[in-house]
Amino acid sequence: MKTVVRGGRVIDPSLGLDALLDVVIENGFISEIAEHADTAYARVVDATGAIVAPGFIDMHVHLREPGFTHKETIATGAAAAVAGGFTAVACMANTEPALDSATIVADVLRRAEAAGLARVYPIGAVTKARAGIELAPYHLLADAGCVAFSDDGSTVENALVLRNAARYASDLTSIFISHCEDPKLKGDAVMNEGGPSTRLGLPGSPGLAEDIIVARDLLIAEDTGKPWHIAHVSTATSLDLMRWARSRGVRATCEVTPHHLLLLDDRFDTYRADAKVNPPLRAERDREALLAGVRDGTIDVFATDHAPHGLDEKAQLLSEAPVGFSGLEIALGAYAAALPDVPLARMIELHSVNPARILGVPGGSLAVGSVGDVTVFAERPWTVDTRLFHSKGRNTPFDGATFPRRALATIVGGAVVYEHGRVLPRDEALHS
Amino acid sequence: MRNVPPRNLIDVDDVSPSELIGLIDRATAFNQTAPPRDLLAGVPVLNLFFESSTRTATSFTLAEQRVGADVISFAPGASSLGKGETIADTAITLRAIGVRVIVVRHPESGFPKRLSESFDGHVINAGDGTHAHPTQALLDLMTLRDHAGRLEGLKIAIVGDILHSRVARSNLVGMRMLGVDVTLVGPRTLLPDAFAGEGVHIERDLDAVLPHVDAIMMLRIQRERIVSGLLPSLDDYIRRFQLNPARLGRLSKDAVILHPGPYNRGVELTDEVLDDPRSRYVIQVHNGVYVRMAVLEFLINSASVPA
Repeated sequence: MKTVVRGGRVIDPSLGLDALLDVVIENGFISEIAEHADTAYARVVDATGAIVAPGFIDMHVHLREPGFTHKETIATGAAAAVAGGFTAVACMANTEPALDSATIVADVLRRAEAAGLARVYPIGAVTKARAGIELAPYHLLADAGCVAFSDDGSTVENALVLRNAARYASDLTSIFISHCEDPKLKGDAVMNEGGPSTRLGLPGSPGLAEDIIVARDLLIAEDTGKPWHIAHVSTATSLDLMRWARSRGVRATCEVTPHHLLLLDDRFDTYRADAKVNPPLRAERDREALLAGVRDGTIDVFATDHAPHGLDEKAQLLSEAPVGFSGLEIALGAYAAALPDVPLARMIELHSVNPARILGVPGGSLAVGSVGDVTVFAERPWTVDTRLFHSKGRNTPFDGATFPRRALATIVGGAVVYEHGRVLPRDEALHS
Repeated sequence: MRNVPPRNLIDVDDVSPSELIGLIDRATAFNQTAPPRDLLAGVPVLNLFFESSTRTATSFTLAEQRVGADVISFAPGASSLGKGETIADTAITLRAIGVRVIVVRHPESGFPKRLSESFDGHVINAGDGTHAHPTQALLDLMTLRDHAGRLEGLKIAIVGDILHSRVARSNLVGMRMLGVDVTLVGPRTLLPDAFAGEGVHIERDLDAVLPHVDAIMMLRIQRERIVSGLLPSLDDYIRRFQLNPARLGRLSKDAVILHPGPYNRGVELTDEVLDDPRSRYVIQVHNGVYVRMAVLEFLINSASVPA
């Protein structure tokens, strides 16, 4: 089985490559990068006028299965991923039951295999049932296929528990990922604490709620030597703390979402929950710091925190509505809109090279012998229409927004699972 | 056919400054001469109070009756809204029944706003969470103008738990619209710096403020602020912010004292304050009925004006 991505501008920062070339994938792996590759008997993807990159990896998504399949399933989430240009996703542990046992993790992987779309890498829980008390069985989870550990959505409140977790798991290379919000400082907040929350009479969460846990967890990373990843940074101070930790030699990385790069805490005058998310959308000063953090290298990864919910759930009162919204199908365009001046090679680092390296998963490179995961995208303006989402979660504050860039084709292990706006499972793609 | 959405009073800035003055004028006129009892004859008004209220609910009901509205009062508690019926469904159902005006109080900020989006009629906010209480602000403004003869340029201090006060927020909106100079006074836990803005000052020392204001509004202090760690004790609060005989002496003879009620004797104020001739609490409550009559008339008439 051979696939040729023909005529595109191939950009691979891992190889220092930026040239018009054909990419050839055979039997699931990159076999050749050349001018005018032989296309005989090959499935050809025409990338003329488009950019060809190592497959994009979203290391922070919520696939909701098991437990919340009215919001999303592994199959619909994987479809949303490939439609958004992602060849792989790492799914968070806050399912019901949580990803805290090998059995559940094996089930997730079985369902992902059956869906035959994006690669799905489970992230195991740090504590049993994500309750913050007892340690999860890290080695059993790693054996089952977990690539990282996180109680995402909940902060491990007890520093003793988190320190012990990192010490016990310190022989494993897989990273810990922290969702940083002090539950007490956050209280019953529905948005950022600031001018808008004060004016609207809504409970707000201060940036301090994030900063204080970022500082704590980076100190635990230093103390334990565990490689650590800070999820969805949203404040200027978080980035200062990242720089400080790295200057001390802490192995720490961090990610940023599209919404924190583009949106502010000025979206609550309607008292609707469309923009309710954790950590909350912040003020302009923080947003500017995040944009600068991408440009200066403090931020390593683009990750969506794809958090689908039912429309009826998000229509509830602000206090009752769940946090988060869908991100997979808007991300590529939204990041381009936020950072139009950032070179494509740098964008691809954050979308692909860095998440692959940080998670220790295949991909992030088009070098011969690498896994045959390719994202083809183009500078082509389009308008977000949630009715066209493959995700069950039709909520996004970006509905109706126009973005400058979009995915054209997504190739996973040589199978063209997304092209011409259609999602096609691997088995069908390979035989079409 | 109407081609503008029905008007609401979610907060004071749903009306223009001149309309705001007009409402105060109208309420003042109603106070002097009662309007005909059939002013709004047969207009179906629903009082929907999700949160208990004595003064506001009674005041609205009386105001509605004095203008001849058909009054329905309903305290939903765990009603259909609590059973999963959406806000939109409730709004559509109430309109279909025939309700034209909903007077709503709800413990969560924003509920009246959300309700108004789906309700093809008028929504009057009778207090939502810590957000707004526009008719209270209107009656406060009316009481102030009664006393001073004007509002622009007046200096007022609002003292206490600003953070949790919908009365303070609505008064801030209205007072800024009309050029009243506001000083907010309270501890930083109950008065964050983010309240400061154009025409709004923050002061932590009540004694320094008292000699310079034309009016002072004392807000209720709730004991639960101690449990939640925002106040160390009532005694400590009293030392800094209670209006008592010593502080009454620092207040100008021509100033007035407002309180939205219900007050806690011995906490934010003492018995002497309530007995002081400068206290306007009773007049405030009295004015509330006329303000609410004026608001009802204003909204109903706004709908009948061709757009």
